[in-house]
Amino acid sequence: MRHTLTRAARIAGVVAAAALLAAACSSDKKSSGDSGGGNSADKVTLRVGLFGTFGLKEAGLYNQYMKAHPNIKIVEDDVEKSQDYYKALQTHLAANSGLDDVQGIEIGFVADIVAHHANQFVDFNTVPNAAQIKPTFYDWKWAMATTQDGKTVGLGTDAGPEAMCYRPSLLKKAGLPSDRATLAAQWKTWSDYLAFGKRYEAAAGKPVGSHFIDGAGSLFAAAVYQGTTAYDDTSGKPIPQTSDGVKSAWQYASQAATDKLTAGLEPFTTPWNQAFANGAFATLPCPAWMLGYITSEAGQAVSGDWDVAPLPGGAANWGGSWLGVPKASKHQKEAEDLVTWLTAPAQQVTMWTSQQHFPSSSTAAADPKVANAKSEYFNNAPIGQIFGDSAKNLKQTPIGPYDTQLEQAFRSALLTVESQGKSPESAFNDALKNAKEIVGD
Amino acid sequence: MSARRILRAGPVSYTILVVTALISVFPLYWTAVIASHTNNEMARTPPPFWPTGNIFHNLRLAMDQAPLTKALVNSLIVAGCIALGTTLFCTLSGFAFAKLSFRGRRGLLAFTIATMMVPTQLGIIPLFMLVAKLHWVNHLQAVILPTVVSAFGVFFMRQFLSQAVPTELLEAGWVDGASTFRIFRSIVLPIARPAMAVLGMLTFLMAWNDFFWPIVALTTQNPTVQVALAGLGTGYVPQQAVIMAGTLIGTVPVLIVFALLGRHIVGGIMQGAIKG
Amino acid sequence: MTITTTPATAPSSAPPAISPPRRRRRTALGSRAAYAYIAPFFVLFAAFSLYPFIYTAWVSMHEVDLSTPNKMTWVGWSNYTKLLHNEFFWNALKNTFTIGIISTVPQLCLALGLAHLLNYKLRGKTFYRVAMLMPYATSIAASTLIFAQLFGRDYGLINWVLSELGFHRVDWVNGHWPSQIAISLIVTWRWTGYNALIYLAGMQAISTDLYEAAVIDGASRWQQFRYVTIPGLRPTILFTIVVSTIGATQLFGEPLLFAGDGTTSGGASHQFQTLGLLMYQQGWTNFHLGQAAATAWTMFLIIVVLVLINTALARGRRSS
Repeated sequence: MRHTLTRAARIAGVVAAAALLAAACSSDKKSSGDSGGGNSADKVTLRVGLFGTFGLKEAGLYNQYMKAHPNIKIVEDDVEKSQDYYKALQTHLAANSGLDDVQGIEIGFVADIVAHHANQFVDFNTVPNAAQIKPTFYDWKWAMATTQDGKTVGLGTDAGPEAMCYRPSLLKKAGLPSDRATLAAQWKTWSDYLAFGKRYEAAAGKPVGSHFIDGAGSLFAAAVYQGTTAYDDTSGKPIPQTSDGVKSAWQYASQAATDKLTAGLEPFTTPWNQAFANGAFATLPCPAWMLGYITSEAGQAVSGDWDVAPLPGGAANWGGSWLGVPKASKHQKEAEDLVTWLTAPAQQVTMWTSQQHFPSSSTAAADPKVANAKSEYFNNAPIGQIFGDSAKNLKQTPIGPYDTQLEQAFRSALLTVESQGKSPESAFNDALKNAKEIVGD
Repeated sequence: MSARRILRAGPVSYTILVVTALISVFPLYWTAVIASHTNNEMARTPPPFWPTGNIFHNLRLAMDQAPLTKALVNSLIVAGCIALGTTLFCTLSGFAFAKLSFRGRRGLLAFTIATMMVPTQLGIIPLFMLVAKLHWVNHLQAVILPTVVSAFGVFFMRQFLSQAVPTELLEAGWVDGASTFRIFRSIVLPIARPAMAVLGMLTFLMAWNDFFWPIVALTTQNPTVQVALAGLGTGYVPQQAVIMAGTLIGTVPVLIVFALLGRHIVGGIMQGAIKG
Repeated sequence: MTITTTPATAPSSAPPAISPPRRRRRTALGSRAAYAYIAPFFVLFAAFSLYPFIYTAWVSMHEVDLSTPNKMTWVGWSNYTKLLHNEFFWNALKNTFTIGIISTVPQLCLALGLAHLLNYKLRGKTFYRVAMLMPYATSIAASTLIFAQLFGRDYGLINWVLSELGFHRVDWVNGHWPSQIAISLIVTWRWTGYNALIYLAGMQAISTDLYEAAVIDGASRWQQFRYVTIPGLRPTILFTIVVSTIGATQLFGEPLLFAGDGTTSGGASHQFQTLGLLMYQQGWTNFHLGQAAATAWTMFLIIVVLVLINTALARGRRSS
């Protein structure tokens, strides 16, 4: 029947058109998804997947390596926000596909990688020279990336030993001492620091709209790791309700909030960024990598009007990353070599001098270029020594997969004390309720 | 009595429209302002109100730091294919659901609409596993094909066509012996054109701005515009100026599409193939 | 499948101005060709939408950790019952409802009014229509940063204007109602032009004769709007209400970005956490994939109920 023929032809036409469209939109010869290896002259392309804070390219390390290894091409795959990066990484790990040859691992999720994905990453205890590599790192840095049964998923890049950054001019205006030696003595413990803060707030000469510390959350996050446990017990199980680190950190932070010593800001938000330029706070717990941030946000106008003193209460760490090699990589050996080189003491020294990233390698930290470093912007403070001491004295506090989320729960609770006038007791209960929701049961 | 004159917009209408246009465009303008100043300058109170010549410097930085030319081409391909594919497939299906009768029509339509009601953010994991098995990771088809499936588009075209296409026209065609496809091509398509134009344009925009799935399925080696922009401003101190300059570069092609096709599409809606 | 931060409200139908109900006659010719017409869509649908859809349902009956998605422990309905006892769920439900009302009702009214204005003879029509789509074309990343700067407590533009005018500064992010209002403003800004375009398309089908007749009868512009425009647009309006209901219930992108710090709790005391954001927090932040899937399907149920209520109300109004 002519009708049926035409109809069948039409149907076929529609389906064919659809197929053509699909084919046209999917032929993608230009881009190649694989790290093309093994063709002419055995050139190997290594894909390094990072999030916005590594600075390896900017320090020229890739070029250096490529010059020394002409058969290796390094290509960086960078996403600025680490949450976006982590989301993609989790998805890729779930499918064990789409992973780069090198993947950056941040302290915020290293515990999750260690707990759940250790067997998808190369164990750096098994690479050649492992025995020489391991001692160059701080013990605690190595331990954080190691599973209970001794597998190490990555080599440390930078670390974030903490100190207390402050604005000398603001303290002077309030009639308080502002040289770092005096402050080191007067800020030995958090109680001393808070008492000092009260004097600042009460001072007549204090600039209007200025507070002592940027936010109670910053205090909490610094102090929580100064106890024997932070959020987890030694087996990695979250114990925020009983941990001594949480208790004492909460005590100090909530006191700062109720005494109105804080500007109620959250780090890395737009208002916090803007606060630098406006002198809204006099002190700020700062890890080494924040110095560059402060320099940029506060601007050159106040150069020399910032300084660094040791952190009250002892050593603490905020931030820091590792580089891992997924076993799914088609160029494991080359990737391992690259990672070993990038994290070697000599390169970590370069990262310090070029990008102000403090080394996670104790060998590198002992290098005079690091240990004797001073910062002009920070009133010639001996930053190499201050941060070096903090890194050296850091205790090994157990970490767990929910630390980032739990910290956020406590920060939020403190924010309600600061901005909504909630009582510390009820805010602490809120934090515990949130913690229960986070951990699940 | 000039009815025509009353149908013209008065000064009140113009004022409202101008204010609305200003509010709509203001954030884009503000993007240009941010793109001309450093973080430090933007933090002043009050912030600066005008863009400066610095914007060109930052635009150049953005082009250097991210593979924006490649990303723009990719996005044009991706958004274009998605818009074309969605419009075509949804018109075909919409027509079938609206005017053809077949077994399971009601159930299938209800099921399709039901899938719109379940949030899709969790579907990334199984979808990625699927795409990985197909070896499509970091290829454009991984972004194009899953996004062409638009239950909204089917629903929309179905609603539009069921109201806009008079069934007696179709029946007249069938009685005359024309095949369904011939009827589709010569009767339905012209009527559907304005709706197709609107669907296509809005789908293009949605696909252009999509970030959630492309950031997982693609890398900065083969990015769309939003993925490439996500790689801007790296370092511990993201310079918002560069990020915003990149955003402007990513929005300009959309504006060009509007400028070129806007009148055409808008004219299409105006002509409105539906007879009163 | 579209995975967007806020699902698109799709354009609607434009009915013929005068059309008595038609009885549809079945034609046997329709049947087999029909499958060919729906085939392209459904092939892709089966390939890329069906699997995630079923997966989400399946996962909701298990306890699954995002880090180990292949390890699933059967728990039956327990994820759903847990949800009912979860105070954060009820908080999110309440917030979704309030934000939904504040952001949808004024928005659709505004869109309707704007479309009505754009329907008149205008100089520079294209400019206005394109300008109104600019918010939808602005990427989420750009809008976020800009609104964060506008709504900042200490240095934001809006608070600066308020203080210049002698008012109190408002803590937009930390306050309960201020944060919901701010988010609703952002949503309204983003989607009004979009919906206006949809209404405008629908309005093209309303014959100018009706307007002229109204004018001859002495109707003012407002009366034209009430007695010509709105009745002619009824099916379109219903459509946008239904679609906006879905969008409002699933609202996720704007609350996520309003927090400004990447957190998914919707504010320090969850003051602007919507259901969509809660689901995202449970799944992607806290790694409880099974729980999040249960939340997603609960949202589905809520939408179905709301849509049924919507259509019942509409049918009721039409018959009255």
